Amino acid sequence: MSQLNETNPFSLDGPAEDRAKATTSTASTVVPLWKQRLRIFLQNKLAIASVVYLVLIVLFCYVGPLLWHFNETNQAAALFNTTNAPPSAHDILGTDGSGFDVFGRIMYGGEYSLSLGMLAGFITIIVGTIYGMISGFIGGAVDASLMRILDALLSIPIIFLLLTMITIFPRTSTNLIIIIGVIGWFGNARIIRGDALVIKELEYSQASRAMGAGWWHIVRRHVFPNSVSNIVTVATFAVADAILFLTTLGYLGLGIPAPATDWGTMLNNAASVQPFYWWQVYPLAAVFILVVVAITYIGEALRDAFEVRLLER
Amino acid sequence: MLAYVIRRFFQSIVVFLIVMLITFALPYFEPGGILQPALIVLGTHATPAAIHQWGVQNGIFHPFFVRFWDYLVQVCYHFNLGYSWKNGQTVWSLIALYVPRTIWLALISFILTLLIALPVGVLQASKRNSWFDYSMTNFFFVLYGIPAFLLSLLMIDWFIFGTIHLQLPPSDGSALEIFTHPSGFIVPVVTLAILNLAFFSRFMRSAVLDVLVQDYIRTAKAKGCSQRRILFKHAFRNALGPIITIVGLSIPGLFGGALIIEEVFNYEGVGYETVNAAVYKDIPTVLGITLLITIFTLVGNLLADIGLGIVNPRIRVEGK
Repeated sequence: MSQLNETNPFSLDGPAEDRAKATTSTASTVVPLWKQRLRIFLQNKLAIASVVYLVLIVLFCYVGPLLWHFNETNQAAALFNTTNAPPSAHDILGTDGSGFDVFGRIMYGGEYSLSLGMLAGFITIIVGTIYGMISGFIGGAVDASLMRILDALLSIPIIFLLLTMITIFPRTSTNLIIIIGVIGWFGNARIIRGDALVIKELEYSQASRAMGAGWWHIVRRHVFPNSVSNIVTVATFAVADAILFLTTLGYLGLGIPAPATDWGTMLNNAASVQPFYWWQVYPLAAVFILVVVAITYIGEALRDAFEVRLLER
Repeated sequence: MLAYVIRRFFQSIVVFLIVMLITFALPYFEPGGILQPALIVLGTHATPAAIHQWGVQNGIFHPFFVRFWDYLVQVCYHFNLGYSWKNGQTVWSLIALYVPRTIWLALISFILTLLIALPVGVLQASKRNSWFDYSMTNFFFVLYGIPAFLLSLLMIDWFIFGTIHLQLPPSDGSALEIFTHPSGFIVPVVTLAILNLAFFSRFMRSAVLDVLVQDYIRTAKAKGCSQRRILFKHAFRNALGPIITIVGLSIPGLFGGALIIEEVFNYEGVGYETVNAAVYKDIPTVLGITLLITIFTLVGNLLADIGLGIVNPRIRVEGK
């Protein structure tokens, strides 16, 4: 890209930073914005470890079942297995109360927990962004009424709201995604609304408006790109929250109905026998907590990477 | 001050009406239509005529806003939250039975939380960046990362089935059970306290740190106040403002945390009942309890604001 800009300084494609530098000084000193951000992200050792861990867990959950052929889903075959068997050479994490192989079961439940969590987090961020943008950008009476509605939604304790929704709607995977997605966006909307409120009053937005730009242009070119940093950070935390909600629901016995399972439901089943068998709880708990912690670390590293003050100028 | 309180009060009422509208409208979105609940009440083999009859009895065929008005009058004027579909009791009687039990559990553990978290927060702030500060920070970070149900599960394994046998006694259903059989409630109360510990001590630490850089602290140091007096007389008092707000705001979280604890420890409180009702698809019970907890939340927020107004005169004046 910098090569191209050197030959044609007035080329209009490429990052804004490149263009500005290419017209004034030599292009060799230019570091593209995304590279700077990547560098800041990579300086954070915990974040790298988290990314590696998450990639490993995703591979474990989605590719693992293709390679690990023990009994994790076949109910008929599970009837002949020893239930609650301790770890052995055959089942390296033992078997659960139905005779399923726990190691394979963690992969199988993880597919549901991770996919549903990510999709729900995704819905959360889309709804939150749209609501926050509308509220912050339009302002005035619309903002006031939208924020009162948000106050009302935030004053219902979230777990009770979750239980209300679960009571009313049938518990299918799709519904769980929608319910968690619909409940998780309140905080996100408030953050993004704050961003939109500030950015639309900044000089470049005002200048754009003075030159006759429509509202869509301002949202698309100014408000949205400048709040992307917050949106990305909030999205990471939203995914962690969604996985946590799903697992809590599963633990309360309100997760994905059998024969499918998720991590929360697995922990619920394991805890139904007390005192529980350690191989059914501790490995899964460790995997699960580390997933949530890893996502949180990545979110914090992303926040740093998007922090303008840390960028080279 | 009075004008400020009145304004906040009316704001809370508006928010409450919106909450009622939301909870009332939710069953309308039920797949299978608004008559779907009839199948739960009457059984899946109910005849269409019986279902229609049930709909007429419950005023389901009236327009939305007529029904909403009836609901408002029933809830706000007659304090009638309807009947549980599970066992036919009034929702109000279920609430009267279970809410005091939850309040005692939450209150005692909350006091325990504050008793530990506030001094630890102050000490952390005063010995900033010491090994004590770092180790407490990391310890609380781990605690904060563990979900409520997992912590309770581990606490049960370690303390109830592990070394100390502190099992909950068979419930006699009384609200004051927690005082008559205290030993059985140590583990749930401590677990709930630990869940809130991290948040409050972190908050106290940053609140005190904010205060310690103020001018009046420097003045106090300059005139020769002892470290102890500065910390607990000046810093602690001024840091109380944010703490009062956060205590008021954390009421929903307290009930939410208590819900998980009750479910895991089989303590028959309001959270336990809500989860049970949710499993049986008992919509009036879940809606009624949710509405009540929301009122608690709103009252908590209101009291927090008023308390803050008393502690901090600046807010009182701005609010006018």
